Amino acid sequence: MKINSLSVDEVFQALITSEEGLAPEEAARRLAEFGQNEISERRKRPLAFRFFAQLTHFLALLLWVAAGLAFLSDYLHPGEGMLTLGLAIVAVIFINAAFTFIQEYRAEKALAEMKKLLPFYVKVVRGGRQMDIIAKEVVPGDVIIVAEGDKVPADMRLIEVSDIRVNNASLTGESEPVSRITEPFDGEIIGSPNIAFAGTTVSGGSGRGVVFSTGMRTEFGRIAQLTGTVTPGLSPLQKEIIKITRIVTLIAATTGIFFFGIGYFIGRSFWENFLFAIGIILANVPEGLLPTVTLALAMGSQRMAKRKALIKTLTSVETLGSVTVICTDKTGTLTQNRMAVAKTADICEGEGPGATGFSSLDIALLCNNTKEVDGELKGDPTEVALYRAGLESRGPIEQIRIREFPFDPERKRMSTVTLVSGRKWVMSKGAPESMIDVCSRCLSKGTTAPLDGELRKRYISLYHSMMDEGLRVLAFAYREAEEGEIIDAVEKAERDLILTGMIGLQDPPRPEVAGAITKCREAGIRIIMITGDSSRTAVAVARKIGLVRGEPAVVEDADFVRMPDAELRSVLSKEEVIFSRMTPKHKLRVVNILKEEGERVAVTGDGVNDAPALKRADIGIAMGITGTDVAKEAADIILLDDNFATIVNAVEEGRAIFENIQKFITYIFAHLTPEAVPYILFVLFRTPLPITVMQILAIDLGTETIPALALGVEPPEASVMKKPPRPAHRGLIDRAVLFRGYIFLGMIGTVGVLFAYLSVLHGGGWRWGMDLPIDNPLVHKAATATFLGIVMMQVGNVFACRTQTESALRTGLFSNRMILWGIAAELLLSLFIIYHPWGNRIFSSAPVGTDVWLMLVPFVLLLFFAEEARKFYLRRTGRITPGRASS
Amino acid sequence: MYKSILAAVNEHINSEVSARYAMHLAKSVGGRLHLCHVAEQEASKETIRRAEEAMRRCLRKSKEMGLAVQEIHEYGAPLDRIRRIVRAEGIDIVFAATRQEDVQRRLYAGTMARKLSVNLPCSVALVRVVHMGRIHPKKILVPLKARINHINERAFFAAKMAEAFGSDIFLFHTTEPVTSFFHGEKHFTPLELENRLPKDISLFVEHLDSYGASHEKGFASGKAGRRIVIEAAARRFDLMIMGASERSLLSSLIYENPVEELLRETPCDLIILKAGHEDKQSFGR
Repeated sequence: MKINSLSVDEVFQALITSEEGLAPEEAARRLAEFGQNEISERRKRPLAFRFFAQLTHFLALLLWVAAGLAFLSDYLHPGEGMLTLGLAIVAVIFINAAFTFIQEYRAEKALAEMKKLLPFYVKVVRGGRQMDIIAKEVVPGDVIIVAEGDKVPADMRLIEVSDIRVNNASLTGESEPVSRITEPFDGEIIGSPNIAFAGTTVSGGSGRGVVFSTGMRTEFGRIAQLTGTVTPGLSPLQKEIIKITRIVTLIAATTGIFFFGIGYFIGRSFWENFLFAIGIILANVPEGLLPTVTLALAMGSQRMAKRKALIKTLTSVETLGSVTVICTDKTGTLTQNRMAVAKTADICEGEGPGATGFSSLDIALLCNNTKEVDGELKGDPTEVALYRAGLESRGPIEQIRIREFPFDPERKRMSTVTLVSGRKWVMSKGAPESMIDVCSRCLSKGTTAPLDGELRKRYISLYHSMMDEGLRVLAFAYREAEEGEIIDAVEKAERDLILTGMIGLQDPPRPEVAGAITKCREAGIRIIMITGDSSRTAVAVARKIGLVRGEPAVVEDADFVRMPDAELRSVLSKEEVIFSRMTPKHKLRVVNILKEEGERVAVTGDGVNDAPALKRADIGIAMGITGTDVAKEAADIILLDDNFATIVNAVEEGRAIFENIQKFITYIFAHLTPEAVPYILFVLFRTPLPITVMQILAIDLGTETIPALALGVEPPEASVMKKPPRPAHRGLIDRAVLFRGYIFLGMIGTVGVLFAYLSVLHGGGWRWGMDLPIDNPLVHKAATATFLGIVMMQVGNVFACRTQTESALRTGLFSNRMILWGIAAELLLSLFIIYHPWGNRIFSSAPVGTDVWLMLVPFVLLLFFAEEARKFYLRRTGRITPGRASS
Repeated sequence: MYKSILAAVNEHINSEVSARYAMHLAKSVGGRLHLCHVAEQEASKETIRRAEEAMRRCLRKSKEMGLAVQEIHEYGAPLDRIRRIVRAEGIDIVFAATRQEDVQRRLYAGTMARKLSVNLPCSVALVRVVHMGRIHPKKILVPLKARINHINERAFFAAKMAEAFGSDIFLFHTTEPVTSFFHGEKHFTPLELENRLPKDISLFVEHLDSYGASHEKGFASGKAGRRIVIEAAARRFDLMIMGASERSLLSSLIYENPVEELLRETPCDLIILKAGHEDKQSFGR
């Protein structure tokens, strides 16, 4: 036995309430017992735990080990600066963690703030008095009053109704309103006609109900709970970062151990080898990677917010760039959601209502539930459009409505019985294919003619041609009631009607959509339209906006349900696919199959029932204007303007961000070779110490941080939306990136750096085979030359890395001012390290002459122009791989 | 057993709903019902009036159901009074409702529900009422872990609750996925999980069969608390019955405690049974 199977009196008993409602004190008590009537998020991990997680991820653990070794080294061999090094590494770990944590926290807060803007009030009876309260204070047992346009605040058992119809679209996906009753109903609550569910809206009539469940225990909450409990997988970027850290660790550890072993065999002391191992590991670990990735994503999300796409999770930014399929709704996303009458059509010859009849627009006005409230028309958008057109055509018509047979998705008709000029009429409107079944005549030349075979054909052909124009089509009919006729059932009303004609409504496409679709096409992204409209209307709209050029595969809801997965898989592999007459609940199946086929799927949605699909998709996109809270909660991105073009803009940003991350990875990798090679000379050829560990840290975490960040905010290259999406198996790092960073740019840099290092040593009197103690001033000077060499080569690198295949000379020196600021900061910090006594003390450096600066300049130019030549070669040979750097 | 059942009623609606579960169990096992209201010394007149109204409604309902019912009104500390009544009347099981504020505390530490559960010398059914619309549960979810204490009593309780409402029982067992460094998490298929069915669950099933309770089984791999919530929400269960947590506060703080998670997140009413009867005891097969 459930609440829906009880009589109204039993409902009051079961919920311990009455028609007078709860006493305010009892309501307060129940609020304390059942909690607030709101959709709550799953309890998140405490902030401290989340910050702790930033300190314990794989890369951080690696740094902790390095810091631990430095502290151990200082303990065993004090005074060699290892304590400073250890502390510096710990500082790095905390700075990285704080940076990443703050970015994520801020993004989360922004969404929470947005949600606070959405409170709504409800009418409730408490202690016998009607009052307005905030919806979240509704409790089980409350008696709620709802009327047209109201949002139902909680699941409630209806106890009194007056032609009430509710739109369950946000819950069940059924777009047509359904009427509700108060009589007991045996069966499941979800299918019960005496229940109004939270989150649905009243589209007509009014009623009272007793609340029996609130918040997360409502049907709305149930879906939210399910959505919240689905664990989203790792985003492609997260997987990539994990992969990168593993590759880097492997390289660092293997190199460190390898050279430790070689050093041991050639007779270097344990501590020399140990110092070397730490140096090699630090040189190879890109410590700045995580904060730079985070910043690039954060700045990307800010840019997207300016373009009306609110990003909820930072990693979604990059995922967007790899999307291969966008499943989009039509109404409101591709179109403007401004329904207007575009065409009226009569079936028979001779338009006009005739002496005693009505025109389609008259019926559109009379058989309509739109209400005027404070000068505004309120109701279903289609009805409002019809009402407005009727009003403009004929002006107001006095009527007394006797009875209404609400729209029913099964019969696809709505009828009213009404008194006009003292005579009783039946007025009907509905889907043309259903209206024809209840019409026997049609208007012709002021009188009526039988709706025979020829006229029927004409009617169907007219209907099809209107749909082919992309119109939503409704047919209209009427009849005069017979003397004394009692019309108390729908079958009695809807019979022997006179068809007046059809009206086509149009929802104009958004003007920017066609351009966005072209962009998608060039970018190799497929668009699948999922709409509740009929196939012909959907195809016509799709043609109008350029979504369809050939003959698309069109699947209607009924076929979709029957279709086995294998067949659906084959349909989904086609270039142009449209799903029509679809309900949101089927979206999840589409998304699942697309994902199984290896596609990266973005899906749009606004209703509660869209939430599982939004969660399941690689990128869930909720509508900011029409979307429900649950959809927004489930989505990764919220479109503030509900506009399809915004999705495409966001994809462009996503692709640019992926490329930018690759650019700074290349930039970071490029300095690792000149850091590591001198060390190898140090071990293998017993040269003096080429660079200190602190100097390596100064480069990795100091001088090159801002230029690397600057690469993260490079504007998109012109070709970014001209390439197909990168394949799923291609990550941020591949042979091309490794070659470009470590080998090509890295080796040119190494030549320059070694030249400066060996020149300084040679100029100071050192010759091969000579042993110099670590505190010899010449060693400090040579190490400083190495340091300066790396810094200078990175200046050339940052310009070289600004583009992947296009010429960097075309990007404009001032198009990314942050690069210039970054270089200025890099050089200032270098000046401090090289020329200030404090810098010398901390980093074991020594001042070098201008000759060292000047000898490096040709190498910087060589690096830049060699890279230009490489890009030119790639462009000429067409060896440009989709969405990534090329080799 | 359960020949003598006590339902603690107070001014809160949850206690009244909890008492309804007690009434149906009493009806099912043919036991005697004790409706008990203990008014605390500082309780206001209004609070007492409301509690008495609730008692009257429960009494009326019990009589309508044809139960042998006894009304008890006491003043004082609820725990002490109820403990005394349990001993004096030979109560087998006490039904008490948990409250929202209980759930907000870690393992409802320091709450009356916790005190009753720990200190009463009988079984205790703590009822978390969250859904007022499912008056007679038709689908009962019984989550089971690999090791079950008081198997017989728990099976008896579930069977009799199902009998009381004519409900279907769905047994649900979750296991943590196996993880390896190279391959990540491995989730067993339902078939693999059924083949690895722990002994205690098989025993529970045997007991359930012996009480004539029909049931289905389901298995899933994942975090227990979360999986159970998903199962209950996805399949729209009306009631969940599970055993009380035997984890210490410390281990619950370190590891997750599914009972605690379910108290917070349950999408349907939840009964947590702290069984107090030894397995060898007869439950009237």
